Amino acid sequence: MGNRVAIVGASAIPIGRHQSAEADELQTLEHEILARLVVEATRDAGVEKDQIDSLVFTLPRPYTRQKYLHTFLIGQLRLPCRGSVLEVMGNGMTAALAFDQACNEILLGRAKVALALGINMESAVSAAEHAMSSMRTTGDVDFHVPAGFTPISWYAMDAARYMHEHGATREQLAAVAVKNRFHASLNPLAQYRKPITADEVLRQRPIVEPLGLYDVPPRGDGAACLVVTTEDVAKGLGRPYVLVQGRGFCHDGSHQISDVPNDMIAFDAARLASSEAYAAAGIEPADLDLAEVYAPCTIVEILVSEALGLTPRGRGGVAALEGETTLGGRIPISTSGGLTSRGHPSYVTSLYNYVELADQLRGRAGERQVKDARWGVGTGELGNYNAALVHVFEGVR
Amino acid sequence: MLETLKMLSVRAYPPRVSEATLPFWSALREGRWMTTQCNDCNRQTFPPKAICPHCWSASVRWTDLSSQGELYSWTRVHAAPTIFAADAPYSVCIVDLDSGVRVACKLVERPGIDTRIGMAVEIVRLQYEDGDLFAARPLNR
Repeated sequence: MGNRVAIVGASAIPIGRHQSAEADELQTLEHEILARLVVEATRDAGVEKDQIDSLVFTLPRPYTRQKYLHTFLIGQLRLPCRGSVLEVMGNGMTAALAFDQACNEILLGRAKVALALGINMESAVSAAEHAMSSMRTTGDVDFHVPAGFTPISWYAMDAARYMHEHGATREQLAAVAVKNRFHASLNPLAQYRKPITADEVLRQRPIVEPLGLYDVPPRGDGAACLVVTTEDVAKGLGRPYVLVQGRGFCHDGSHQISDVPNDMIAFDAARLASSEAYAAAGIEPADLDLAEVYAPCTIVEILVSEALGLTPRGRGGVAALEGETTLGGRIPISTSGGLTSRGHPSYVTSLYNYVELADQLRGRAGERQVKDARWGVGTGELGNYNAALVHVFEGVR
Repeated sequence: MLETLKMLSVRAYPPRVSEATLPFWSALREGRWMTTQCNDCNRQTFPPKAICPHCWSASVRWTDLSSQGELYSWTRVHAAPTIFAADAPYSVCIVDLDSGVRVACKLVERPGIDTRIGMAVEIVRLQYEDGDLFAARPLNR
């Protein structure tokens, strides 16, 4: 990489229930939240308004009343731009792509400073009603959806297969949920912060067998903003920053499921994308200090930790159970609390992962700080990790 | 011929039918389990497609799919979208057909037989009041 991209600022609201109901007298307005986050993130970065030339937004949910929220916000902030202003969409990968595109604006020289930002509001819509839409995002609407598949039903089948192939147990899966809740208890941005036990996880009602309520992500609202710039500008700001040292992408050429039988729990796209990102950064998985992965369910964190080379294949569940992936362990994963406890407002989820990486690698993660954290990895995905976008980061203090 | 199971309801979420997929649904109505096969590279694909995804040939023919296979994985869905809520809990699965094609579909469990990954399954036709769907069911052995 020539002139590298650096993250210099971040802001986010705590994930939770922010969306107002139709009948509420006082409404929560998306652009008001985003305007505040833009100001906070640019202050955190120490950059000026007139240095910003590109804004890459995540697509809002259809429940957001204000259409074209991206250009509306430009108007709210009177922010003339000479690079690009757009909204991106890529299913669960939406926020990772928004960040990636903001980095591109810097690499292409279209902007000295760019923002990757967005808001996801959906909690006032019931889970069953929201699923009417989300069920159409995974699989074929004419050949799969009529059977009743939902997004997490595919992950549930991963779990069943993983338990079958490796003799993994529900206790191992539960260990991921318990560990993530512990991490979330230390994160002010997290949605669920009260510690839980493995017994409690195993006692929850089944959602998609073998996964229970605490194995799957909660629903919630969130918004976040990241400031990226060139390495030169970052150096000049005189504050800790985070360099994007590697990037890899892979789409495996299938949508949710390949009709040519393959190993569905190998997450090959994540393996290939991460290899590319590690090579660009000049590191090995063993060099990483933490991983902040897109993993909607406990099983997904196990499988992606294996695909990223953080644990050997078939050992991800044992690694979680033995504390290797807990803060203070060999390779802490999801120090933010992960999607299961920090929360999963899905179109902005990866922005929260980068906020966590920016905090950790700048030494600002407080009680959950990974000691001397220098290298971190973040992922975004869609489908059953049919596509993966992986970034490797290095903190500079 | 696929065995037909009569369903006493309409389909919760009926599939759309196009000119390209009509032969699949017409065959299913007669208990036949078919898909498209490429005339150039000779590979079957499922769901059926007018363009071969492997070599992009537009020359395809209709051939029989294997109606038996092995259960690759499955789940029982308890948290269902509104339109499927009345059916919950219900099961869905992934099957590797003996002829080397993988399909994802409903799973009709058999009372008294534990559903296990790796077990032999067969494809059945589900005849609803408004049209058909297909499912896998453990072989009775």
